[in-house]
Amino acid sequence: MIPWRTLLPIAAAIVLTGIGLLSGSYAVTVLGFAFIYTIFCTGLNFFMGYTGQASFGQSAFAAIGGYGSAILCADYGWGPLPALIVTMVISGIAALLVGYPTLRLRGHYLAMATFALGLIVYEISIEWTSLTQGYMGYSGVPPLSLLGYELGTVEQQLVALLVLALFGIFISNRLRQSRFGRALAAIAGSEAAARALGIDIARCKLIAFVIAALYASAAGSLFAHFVGFISPEVFGVTMVVQSFAMLYLGGIGTTWGPMIGAIIVSILPEALRGLQEMQDIAYTAILIFILIFAPRGLAGLSSLFARGKSRKLEEA
Amino acid sequence: MPKFRLALAAAMAASMLSGPVRAEDSFKIGSSVGLTGYAAVVDRAWRDGMAVAAEALNEKGGILGRKIEIITEDNRSQPQDAVVGYRKMLSSDEVQIFDSGCVSAGNFAAAAFVMRAELPMYLCSILPKREEEQAWAFSFLPPPRFEVEPRYQYLKDKTDVRKVGLLYDPTPYALLMKGLAEELAANFGIEVVAQESYKADDADMSVQIGRINAAGAGAVIKIGQGGSTVTAAKNIRQLGLDKMILMSSNDDGSIFRQAGEVLGDRFLFVSPPVQLPKELKPGPRKEAVDAFLKYWSAKYPDRDAANGARAWDSMMVMAKAAEVANSVEGEAMRDATEKVPSHQGAYATYNFSKEHHVGITENPFLIGKFAGGELVLAQ
Repeated sequence: MIPWRTLLPIAAAIVLTGIGLLSGSYAVTVLGFAFIYTIFCTGLNFFMGYTGQASFGQSAFAAIGGYGSAILCADYGWGPLPALIVTMVISGIAALLVGYPTLRLRGHYLAMATFALGLIVYEISIEWTSLTQGYMGYSGVPPLSLLGYELGTVEQQLVALLVLALFGIFISNRLRQSRFGRALAAIAGSEAAARALGIDIARCKLIAFVIAALYASAAGSLFAHFVGFISPEVFGVTMVVQSFAMLYLGGIGTTWGPMIGAIIVSILPEALRGLQEMQDIAYTAILIFILIFAPRGLAGLSSLFARGKSRKLEEA
Repeated sequence: MPKFRLALAAAMAASMLSGPVRAEDSFKIGSSVGLTGYAAVVDRAWRDGMAVAAEALNEKGGILGRKIEIITEDNRSQPQDAVVGYRKMLSSDEVQIFDSGCVSAGNFAAAAFVMRAELPMYLCSILPKREEEQAWAFSFLPPPRFEVEPRYQYLKDKTDVRKVGLLYDPTPYALLMKGLAEELAANFGIEVVAQESYKADDADMSVQIGRINAAGAGAVIKIGQGGSTVTAAKNIRQLGLDKMILMSSNDDGSIFRQAGEVLGDRFLFVSPPVQLPKELKPGPRKEAVDAFLKYWSAKYPDRDAANGARAWDSMMVMAKAAEVANSVEGEAMRDATEKVPSHQGAYATYNFSKEHHVGITENPFLIGKFAGGELVLAQ
């Protein structure tokens, strides 16, 4: 039997999508971005949450995915799905090449190196205008299509994004529960202890980094297809900051944290739009408030129920 | 804790389910502007220019008897936020037309679905690239060549400088202008000897300016807006280049004042007549500027009027289009905008047609300088 802790978030995501579909294209767009970020953050969670490493450079792989899909589809007439897969492969190879030397670093040094990676790719997306068209951006990226059927409306795309986000979480969770996933948990706990257990730390970290890059690349591609346009601003520092907010708010190292965080961080500013110039102040105040009262993220709150339940049982 | 979660969930559900508010007797104009981020200076002026125009038009009964209601959404100068804002204005606010700010990427990102919704977009930015999207978009930005030609003409007529360096940022408009600056130089007997780029948030440009100087340039043609112009002026002075001229793109008057205080006569800038109202002679142009300044100066006595004037003009063209169409329906407004007779605005003269969706077809720019504590025409 599937436990309620698994069913509840799936049901909540489906209900939210249903509400979005009934509310019009504005809500659909907000939720669409939330599910794209869910995929991005699920990958980031794999590297940061499960493996305990820091990466500020995942936006680089999102940019490779986004620009790769845009160029292959808009200029070479590729279908969205082959373009998405090919760009994921390119991002994976790039992550392998970059990760091999970079992951020798630890802690703040690794964080700075990955941050530099993000900045380098961002600068390339601005300066290499013959490839990326710089700030002019790429327009005319076709919407997602599946088996020759184009998902022409944002509503159809939202359903596809929900399915892909849930699929991404499923894969991530399966990997987490595997022997490899347990090795990552050991690394996150103590590298020295993991090494003593015979875990090849460098190899595991590198694989986790590549997996995170594949997720980021897919998110970048999906962004390009969902909006139909990309430009360098999309993959700038804002993306890094936003994804970190989502990860920590939702619950880093948890299965559903990335999705919860992505949905909250996407919806909250919209709920506060009426405040106009006070919107950002109210938004950040609420984020701080949540982080104070739920330091392990909103997904971590479910443990309170478990604790409450066990306390009641003890009292009984 | 459950109460908190319940309240949070209720707030979110309410925001998602809240339906559109209908107001049959109002004319709703949506505006996506970068009130924060790199476009904030220009787009805040654009928002305020629209607001004073709406006030003036509403005093006369609005557009076709409907009161104007402006719905503004901050896109934070980011395309993703622009997409969300445009979607909100389309589906929740049910706006009838867009009159948006200068964040090109945001306008480009939204152009495809705004076109599908068959609503015209009046833009402070350049036009989207795709032809089918251009059919629904109208730009109130001067063609980039108009900012280049007066500078070269001035150098040719009033100075001995024949070698220049281009200092540009990588924004779409600046890149277009930079390409034209290279192309047009020979027509004025000028040689471009150096091209250097910078980022809008660069705190120092002495390396780029040093290279321009080393290449033998007597003037820096600065292409791009914002505080970087003041930085460039300071760097020229710090490097001791006491003959180097700095010629800036059109920008906010506060930038011109700051750079002028640093370089004095050696700082020149491209300026529309509304920035130099004292230089205007009686005639339709002065009347248009005065009509705008009457409202603008009353509300914002200390603010530069240039970008607000363009927004004002866009609203006046819109009002005329509605008169021509005798309707505010999207397609009718689009077609009517192409038929609006030549309109003398506060910033420039606008001649939209089926072929010209960039309305400014006559160069409005003069060359100005900062002297005696104010912006004046450079003689």
